[in-house]
Amino acid sequence: MVMDFFRGGGQSTIEEVEKTLVEMMENAYVVYEEAMGAVFGGGKSKETKKHVKKTDKEINVAQQEVRRALVMHASVSPTTDIADTLAYMSVVKDVERVGDYSKNVYDLAKFGTDFTGAADFEELAEYRDKVGQLMEDATAVFAVRDEEGAQALINKADVFLDEYDDHVRTAFNSTGPASEAVARALYYRFLKRITAHVMNLMTALVAPIDRLDYYDEAKEDRVEP
Amino acid sequence: MDTVESPAASRQASSLSGPVRALLVVGLLYAFLIGVKLLEGGINGLGSDFTDALFQGVSNPLAGLFVGVLATVLVQSSSVTTATIVGLVGTGLVSVEHAVPMIMGANIGTTVTNTIVSLAHMRQSEEFKRAFTAATMHDFFNLMAVAALLPLEVITGVLSNTAKTITDAVAGDIGGGKFNSPIKGAVKWGAEQVESLFGWIDNEKAAAVVFLIVGIGLIFLTLTFITKNMRVLVAARIERSLNAALAKSGAVGIVVGMLVTIAVQSSSITTSILIPLVASGILLVRNAYPITLGANIGTTVTALIAALGIGEVDGLTIAVTHTIFNTVAILLIYPWPKIRYIPVTLAEKLAELALRRKSLALGYTLVSFVLIPLAGILILR
Repeated sequence: MVMDFFRGGGQSTIEEVEKTLVEMMENAYVVYEEAMGAVFGGGKSKETKKHVKKTDKEINVAQQEVRRALVMHASVSPTTDIADTLAYMSVVKDVERVGDYSKNVYDLAKFGTDFTGAADFEELAEYRDKVGQLMEDATAVFAVRDEEGAQALINKADVFLDEYDDHVRTAFNSTGPASEAVARALYYRFLKRITAHVMNLMTALVAPIDRLDYYDEAKEDRVEP
Repeated sequence: MDTVESPAASRQASSLSGPVRALLVVGLLYAFLIGVKLLEGGINGLGSDFTDALFQGVSNPLAGLFVGVLATVLVQSSSVTTATIVGLVGTGLVSVEHAVPMIMGANIGTTVTNTIVSLAHMRQSEEFKRAFTAATMHDFFNLMAVAALLPLEVITGVLSNTAKTITDAVAGDIGGGKFNSPIKGAVKWGAEQVESLFGWIDNEKAAAVVFLIVGIGLIFLTLTFITKNMRVLVAARIERSLNAALAKSGAVGIVVGMLVTIAVQSSSITTSILIPLVASGILLVRNAYPITLGANIGTTVTALIAALGIGEVDGLTIAVTHTIFNTVAILLIYPWPKIRYIPVTLAEKLAELALRRKSLALGYTLVSFVLIPLAGILILR
């Protein structure tokens, strides 16, 4: 405890925060994988539910740790790393939301959704894989602070956002069973939110502070980085 | 994509590497000691008539206390005040007995900085209440300490006598009120080099005034830059140790506060760092309290360093008295649950009042730290 003062070297607060953000993203991916496993044939189970909840709670605890660390850093060194401090204070909320919306996907399984054997299974699975890949790539890009990679991911993911809206619209206009339409509308809605929040995380690497965090807005309301 | 920098691109690189900054701090410490030595030489050069008149007033303990408060409020650093007092005591013109109240006053005066910092939170009521409580609990603790120990010291001399015993045992008098300091020779040489720069001043008294001004200036400037550089050097350590102390109370906090203050050579920095942490709610007032008390002990190291530089037994005695005073104050108040939180409770009550009437916070700061000491000095001199 007191010996922490004498512990030399180690990472700076900002580096530790970056490491925690990466761990949060990895945990969010774990939640996402489990949730997708549940709606793509696995179904709900007590074990999965327990693990999803536990991992989501870890993400929430990590978010609080990040905020505390950033306030501490700002108090001790107010002018050092000011841009990173403000950026991470903002995007830590996005990472936490990625975990939240992934958990919401699991809720679909809780309400009985199972896409196995559905007519649009291929399409649903394609988006599952696309978003899963986006989360993995974003985590890797953020871990090494690859600015070019972040911009490329933003450009790639931006295309998905319009596609999700099309799918939500289709679900609304569907004449099929309500349970299927609602499940799809929510599924694509959650994927859209996950994608937008991942994009917000990427803006911490490429956008100036005043333009962070707009990808969860409608395109016409957004301030491009 | 325009050319505005992203947070990643704008990450600040430290302009100086750690080892270079550490070397700079060593150089600044040396310059600080030269400043204390110059101050001592300047005071001596002014002659006893002038200095007797100047320090006559501080023979009244309360006047000495108020001088300590006001001087510290003006320079916003108890380290500067105590280092200057060590220099004055080293000259023999101010006795240890008369310097003790001034040192205690410096303790009270130094709390003005975090009180001012807390006023910045005025626009957010709850934040302000927490911040103002955290700031003023330090004031109340130091007032309680002075109320208990100043009369005792005036009547019995127990603090300064204990310090004298320790100083004699540790340093020893090699004659003429001096002790063997390993750095005294180097400091003396440095001070002589600076004095030689002003060799063109024929008038002895004018030269003494110049040495006095340069000495005080050096003390002030070097301590400012030592604090700034040390803050950068040990920022990660401060963050780690404060993080570890966030949910803790008691001895851990006291030790953390002491270590952080020794590292940055300023209790104001330590206590001011705590204000936004308490205001934002991530550090509880009662967990910040022991850190604040630790800062009281940590800040006494500056005077000890100054005393080593001048090598005068009395200078070392007053520096040790400062350490004893702050340690005894903690031992007198903190271990006993019934009185431990009196300063916190008083601070909470004052913050409640200040919350209802915010001008009270400004008035409290102005009256306690400026008007009362000023009136006290004018009346008691």
